[in-house]
Amino acid sequence: MKQPFLLLRKDLLVLRRSPLLLGVLVAYPLVIALLIGLTAAYANAKPRVALVDLDGIPPRVTVAGQSFDVDALIDQVAKNVELVRMDEGEAAQQLAAGRVAAAITVPEGFVADLKGLVASPHLTLATGTGGIAPRVRQQMQALVYNLNLHLQKAFIQADIRYVDLLLHGGKGVVLGHSFSIIGLDGAARLLARVPPSPTRAQLEDFVHDARLALALTDNAIRATAAPIVLDEERGRGRTSALSAQVQSYGLAITITILGLLLAAGALAAERDENVIGRLVRGLVGLGRLIAAKVALATAVALALGLAILVGFGIAVEAGGVAGGEPWQRLPLVLLGVALAGIAIGAAGALVGALARESRTASLVGILVVLPIVFLGLVPREIVPAAYWISDAFPFAHAARFFSSALYDRRPWEVIGREAAWLVGLAVVFFALARASARRLAA
Amino acid sequence: MTFLIAARGVGRRFGGHVALAPVDVEVGPGEVVVLVGPNGAGKSTLLAILARALSPSSGQVELGDGVRVGWMPQRPAHYGRLSARQNLELFAELEDVSGAEELLRRLELPDDDRPAAALSVGNRQRVDLAIALLGDPQVLLLDEPTAALDPRQRRRLWETARGVRDGGGAVVLVTQNVEDLEHVADRVAVLLDGRMVFDGPVDDYLRSEAAGALA
Repeated sequence: MKQPFLLLRKDLLVLRRSPLLLGVLVAYPLVIALLIGLTAAYANAKPRVALVDLDGIPPRVTVAGQSFDVDALIDQVAKNVELVRMDEGEAAQQLAAGRVAAAITVPEGFVADLKGLVASPHLTLATGTGGIAPRVRQQMQALVYNLNLHLQKAFIQADIRYVDLLLHGGKGVVLGHSFSIIGLDGAARLLARVPPSPTRAQLEDFVHDARLALALTDNAIRATAAPIVLDEERGRGRTSALSAQVQSYGLAITITILGLLLAAGALAAERDENVIGRLVRGLVGLGRLIAAKVALATAVALALGLAILVGFGIAVEAGGVAGGEPWQRLPLVLLGVALAGIAIGAAGALVGALARESRTASLVGILVVLPIVFLGLVPREIVPAAYWISDAFPFAHAARFFSSALYDRRPWEVIGREAAWLVGLAVVFFALARASARRLAA
Repeated sequence: MTFLIAARGVGRRFGGHVALAPVDVEVGPGEVVVLVGPNGAGKSTLLAILARALSPSSGQVELGDGVRVGWMPQRPAHYGRLSARQNLELFAELEDVSGAEELLRRLELPDDDRPAAALSVGNRQRVDLAIALLGDPQVLLLDEPTAALDPRQRRRLWETARGVRDGGGAVVLVTQNVEDLEHVADRVAVLLDGRMVFDGPVDDYLRSEAAGALA
């Protein structure tokens, strides 16, 4: 049984004597993980949206007695989109070309309707048909919601001023018409001068009740405008760079690419070196030869996985980030890394056995590993088929194992299921690699 | 005669191509058998089957009781990124034998940190020979071992082959080199298009039609 360990030691020695190869093998998956992270960040970047102003909105607009700086207001509310002003034709052209994700049009008469306080003015949103359209629609709805929120405050203030006029009397303006009223206070004073009578008593009761009711209107109007208020507490969660998802996917991507390429290349290299014949003549059987390559992938995955976990753990500690248990769960995650390394190493050995030459194995390894990783990154809700297909490969199970081991309060169910998957896949890939390895010895 | 190694009806196909038609060869103690034939005749295939590095499509290989077999293939068969010493030590550990140190000295192999891939072709052949000699095999299978050796190293190889023979062992040597025949051969076997067309003493071979055909 010592032969696989001798070959493992030999492979590690070969890696140590090939620092450039080792550096590339370690750097490549880290770069891929980083690029995927950046791409994911780009997916969350602000989409570019055309703003077509057919109404010629002035720089300042006064609504309900409150003056708004239009550009400042747009900057304030358009947090998740990049609004770019352009004319109607250019917007249509850029939308058709996909250079803007949507076009929002301010029709003629918009500001007049807004100031009129009688009918709600309309904005028109045109979106493309791609997968980003639902997200843009949501973000534009959020933009309109934020605009309404700002305008709502002005309207509430105006309504409260009218209520105040009804209570205390004074001068006001509605739809451009000035008026003056005595208010309930004035009505009470006038009633006091009228001789007592049942009619006066009824009117005094009404004025009394109305004053009480209107005194409560301020809060009622605010509550009606916003039945539920969302208060935001900033900075409570992790930065996205240290999120559970980034950590588990980063770890899974790195060891998948490294383990698969290493096992595939190392097995095919035995044939390149013309030593398979020497080994199979009673020294090391094909099964043990594959076991040695699986052990190599696992050993390197454990070393690199430990380095990544320690790096993340230090970053989490240094950043004073709450949540997760980077140190306590380390042994559990390393168990997952070992299981994933075995399954990935067996898959890599299959690639190496089929490819036969190390150069071909490297190329096939790259061709195989990237779809495996990307399939595992596709959310189940977006493409269910991709999710199911990714179940046939170790990457997705490794990522789920790591995520659960690092951050779930009760991870045992998920860990048990994913560990069973990894063991099952390791057995299947090992058997396939063993059967295919006969080609190497031929 | 008791044999050390024997091929009984051994043949090999690669897909539809017959690389070696079923042949019978028996090699006894104190024999150096030289296997000759043109390129593609099946010599290396037969040697790899005798070494049990390649499974035969038909027939079987028999070994005498407790016989160790050393094999030196035609192409370098060691780890190019490891040094000569590291290669020898690794294969010694895999075979669970000692003697790597002694072979390094005896075959005058470069004992530095250079990877084997950086050595000359002749030195790489000697690394392979050293690996084949690990564990003092009774049967030594050598596939064109003198192809890249200088005259001095060639003489040393012949001495090694004679040493195995004189110690009661046997050598099967594939060659295209007539000198090998003259210096070490006791017996010659000729393969032509995967078929054994001659198997007999050197003198008989030299007078045979097979020798004329290969000349």
